[in-house]
Amino acid sequence: MNTLIVNGRHVKAREGAMLLEVIRQAGVSLPTLCDHAALEPWGGCRLCLVDVTRNEWDGWAKMVVSCMFPAEDGLIVRTDSPRVVETRKVVLDLLLARCPDTPLVQKLARDHGIEQTSYQPNPEPTDCVLCGLCTRVCDHIGVSAIATVNRGAGREVAPPFHEAPPDCIGCLACAEICPTSCIPFTTSDSKRTIWGKAFEMVRCTQCGRAFITKEQAAFYDGRNGVPASYFDTCDECKRRAQAQQFSRLSAGAGR
Amino acid sequence: MNSISCADGQPMEAILERHPREEASLIQVLQDVHRAYSYLPCDVLVQVAKALDVPVAKVFSVATFYKAFSLDPQGKTIIKVCTGTACHIRGSGQVIEEITRQLGIGPGETTSDMGFTLKTVNCVGACAMAPVLIVGEQVHGGVKPAKVAKALNQEGHRDAH
Repeated sequence: MNTLIVNGRHVKAREGAMLLEVIRQAGVSLPTLCDHAALEPWGGCRLCLVDVTRNEWDGWAKMVVSCMFPAEDGLIVRTDSPRVVETRKVVLDLLLARCPDTPLVQKLARDHGIEQTSYQPNPEPTDCVLCGLCTRVCDHIGVSAIATVNRGAGREVAPPFHEAPPDCIGCLACAEICPTSCIPFTTSDSKRTIWGKAFEMVRCTQCGRAFITKEQAAFYDGRNGVPASYFDTCDECKRRAQAQQFSRLSAGAGR
Repeated sequence: MNSISCADGQPMEAILERHPREEASLIQVLQDVHRAYSYLPCDVLVQVAKALDVPVAKVFSVATFYKAFSLDPQGKTIIKVCTGTACHIRGSGQVIEEITRQLGIGPGETTSDMGFTLKTVNCVGACAMAPVLIVGEQVHGGVKPAKVAKALNQEGHRDAH
């Protein structure tokens, strides 16, 4: 097991862990926007940057994004050195310039002592921080209906050709994972819309509630051995059926 | 007009034959498509995605990322005017004005007969020749507005033969 020093405290790290995980284990909080437990680290938001050094580096230290830096044995980590604090402030200042009206970005900036951006605020405010969570979760599911398009200042998340994405299954994973909730959608018992595409809903054969889209059911049908009949009932009804079975099985037990 | 229609599958098949059918071929295939059609037609991008088994969203992402790719039809001849520091100082602005005066198109635009597309580029790495004008494949150095007409005509002649 690797042992590291985080802000002066000795911490043990599991094999294969990245610095961010170890830092949080040590009880030190670090802001992040693009990190998600279900996805590979990406290093996009640059908020989790820290200073790392080693005893043998003679005082020399380098700044790294902790989410992507392996927690190697003997690393000495500082999350609050003056240049780390200053650099993180610059990142937040820039983010606030891009998203001046976004509550999450405003809060993060305020937590780091920035009330107002020192840059020219974006004349067309957006809530998208370009953390890439939506496109990455879409890739992870195996759909890849959306991606980032263009580059530099014009970069944005969009479906191909800015039209309703043919590959989208309407699972809403992108909208739900978005830290600023900036992907609009509507969903009801009969219809769901996202990215300009409309979906028909599948209803639970027991409670009658709409719980997934037809495209979602079709996408998962046969994948990893999931039979089509799995989508006859919703998760809640499945849980209820299982609980009933448990109580039947355990009836009389303990007497 | 663009001589190759989007529905024409011939160049597409030949291009795909030249490259292994894998994601790693994407940029090379797009470059070949761009050369054959002089832009990236939407339906061809969908075909490329299918052939290489890459999501369309990813192909669109790559196609919009690189400046070398255009999703709009381009003129037969691409005119590039360098606007890097050296060229800017030595008068690339006037060269652009002259081209606009002669062809009636600004940077990023294409003549209505699809003959020329005017682009500005940031540096072509030939600062000693500033200002640099590239018409098709022909590089012209030390360009003055008075030389623009000749440079454009040369290209017109080459096309005629």
